[in-house]
Amino acid sequence: MIFETAFWLPIGIMAPLLAALCTFLAPQRMSPLVTMIGAGITFVAVGFLSASLVRNGPARHTVGGWGAPLGIDLAVDGLAALMLMLTAVVGAAVALYAYGYFNFSGHGEETKRRYASFWPLWLFLWSALNALFLSRDVFNLYVTLELVSFAAVALTALAGKPDVLRAAMRYLLVSLVGSLFYLMGVAYLYGEFGVLDIDQLKKTVTATPSLAAAAALMTVGLMMKTALFPLHFWLPPAHANAIAPVSALLSALVVKGSFYILLRAWLEIFYPLSHTGAPYLLTGLGGAAILWGSLQAIRQVRLKLLIAYSTVAQIGYLFLLTPLLFVKEQSPIALSGIVCFILAHAGAKAAAFLSAGAIQLVTGDDRISSLRGLMQMQPLAVVAFGAAGVSLAALPPSGGFIAKWFMLHAALAHGDRLVAAIIVVGGLLAAIYVMRVVAPLFRQPDDAVLHRLTLAPKTMTLTALGLAVLALLLSFAGIPVMEMLSIGAVGILGIE
Amino acid sequence: MQDRDFNRALQADDDTRLTQSRLLVLALATALVAGLAAAAITFPDDFGRLAPLALDSLPRSGVLNPVTAVLLNYRGYDTLLEVVVLLLAIVGVWAIAPTPRIWFKTPDTPVLATFVRLLLPLMMVVAGYMLWLGADEPGGAFQGGAVLGGVGVLWAAAVVWLPRAGRPFWLRLLLGAGVAAFVIAAVGLLFLRGNLLQYPPEQAKTVILVIESAAMFSIGATLAMLFIGGYPRREEAK
Repeated sequence: MIFETAFWLPIGIMAPLLAALCTFLAPQRMSPLVTMIGAGITFVAVGFLSASLVRNGPARHTVGGWGAPLGIDLAVDGLAALMLMLTAVVGAAVALYAYGYFNFSGHGEETKRRYASFWPLWLFLWSALNALFLSRDVFNLYVTLELVSFAAVALTALAGKPDVLRAAMRYLLVSLVGSLFYLMGVAYLYGEFGVLDIDQLKKTVTATPSLAAAAALMTVGLMMKTALFPLHFWLPPAHANAIAPVSALLSALVVKGSFYILLRAWLEIFYPLSHTGAPYLLTGLGGAAILWGSLQAIRQVRLKLLIAYSTVAQIGYLFLLTPLLFVKEQSPIALSGIVCFILAHAGAKAAAFLSAGAIQLVTGDDRISSLRGLMQMQPLAVVAFGAAGVSLAALPPSGGFIAKWFMLHAALAHGDRLVAAIIVVGGLLAAIYVMRVVAPLFRQPDDAVLHRLTLAPKTMTLTALGLAVLALLLSFAGIPVMEMLSIGAVGILGIE
Repeated sequence: MQDRDFNRALQADDDTRLTQSRLLVLALATALVAGLAAAAITFPDDFGRLAPLALDSLPRSGVLNPVTAVLLNYRGYDTLLEVVVLLLAIVGVWAIAPTPRIWFKTPDTPVLATFVRLLLPLMMVVAGYMLWLGADEPGGAFQGGAVLGGVGVLWAAAVVWLPRAGRPFWLRLLLGAGVAAFVIAAVGLLFLRGNLLQYPPEQAKTVILVIESAAMFSIGATLAMLFIGGYPRREEAK
């Protein structure tokens, strides 16, 4: 039993959940230790699951032993396993960083108490994300979406300042509206097709008015949660005002959760509608997101707002190739491009936010103009930011580069020159906003500034650097990602 | 700055003129509702086709009430995650701010205290009865928990005892008991029977009842603590 893939599926969900419960019940000073044990078990589960997936192929777990359509099924395939691994690696690095961050800056009774909530909230988020990636039931996905949102909003509010509370409130309301749109879509799916299991829906869906209604509702709801232009308005204040480790989790993982459902929903449920204009509409919005987000990023005076607007831009790339997912020749390459982009962006964006947080802790403010000469004082943080920037601007060798290479390949093979042009222009704009930050870092610092600076702890700068290096190393991951995605192939190849 | 925003928002609320942009929003919303209604009309006649299957499986579910069977057995995993949502809400609220000071004033009137003293035992019995009823009739942990939530709110209002307690272990245990029972049952059954939350049919009712009891206390405590709001600080009553 213990050597079967199916056995390990729910462990990846239950281990962080149990750890979250223990951090709540145990005294607060034990939280980092409990988190470490929970994270260790989750790591083993995710590792075993992925290894066993490669060896034995996709697996299913019937919760309660009932099986769909009566019960809820969990399943793992290549796409799900990649997301599980991403969450584990980025999440563990961020947790390590957070430990250093809280020790360095978490002074005062009130701040300490607030920061102590980070551990249970982060473990709840991890459990919810894993549950989301593994679920095969559209209603169960709604519950996981709610869990992810509540954990993310509470984490945002941890910074405790009035600005961040306002941003968190707006984030909560947008998230709730998004969830309700999604839930209404679920009602349409169940009303028309009478099942909630994705594999059974996949076999029964036809292009009916109800399917169109469900697609419209769920797409809009998930677009809000993913912050696709023009529904991105809530993201920059929330991501920029949260504390650095939380910003990293939000940008790297949380927005990818709702995108993952959107991707699967279109590939496995809404595919009869692929000949309508909807996929092209998503491409258009993606393109607009890239241009608008990048231009806004270039205009910012605050470092974390610049990084947050960069997230708005980079989310656009995830939607740019939607129509190509339904073209048989281009589908695997387009999907590989999108998934590589998710992985590379998660690593690079987390590294950018973490190094920005380390820099902000020592300079005391967040303006780009205060970055002068930091290369001399904070070399590790600066190198981490630079390496993350290389991947964000998609320069070789980086995960961003390989992702865009896949995307360009698919777009040009299909003759979409405009899409290819947007990919290239987006990369140039990203290079501009990255250079706006990197250039002052190498200038000669003021002597007055030099004297009052302290060093950020190594746990912080090294984890940021580690994630940035991973984002660069992903340039070798193109083929493994493609092979992984072919296990239990989702999308047009899985339907035939 | 904040006040100005707030006043502007208030004025905007009072403004009931039909401007062009509002007419456009109205037209779009009407079109959306019409479209959704048109789609809903086309639902097939055998709406809710999982219901017969749910009824057929009832003998193996351990309970007689089909709603309880869906919530605690067929789709018990959904309910597990919903109970986690409640615990998450408490952790989130505690992370933001301490309890409002309004809870630290003892009410002057003896009416409330007397009323609460009479009512509370009765409400506890009602909650327990609703839980027990849930196996065969409409009722269950959420209904019982809602009643217990009322108990908690009245208690806190009349006795001013809970908010001054800080964050003691018994309170955290009360709040986490539902999740704890659910997760322990889920993982235990995973090891015993190979699937998460796979109850043995003969003992299904017992397991469901244990989970529901724990969940009921947690739901009640959570609702009351959410109503009180904020991180329970340790302070002396005035």
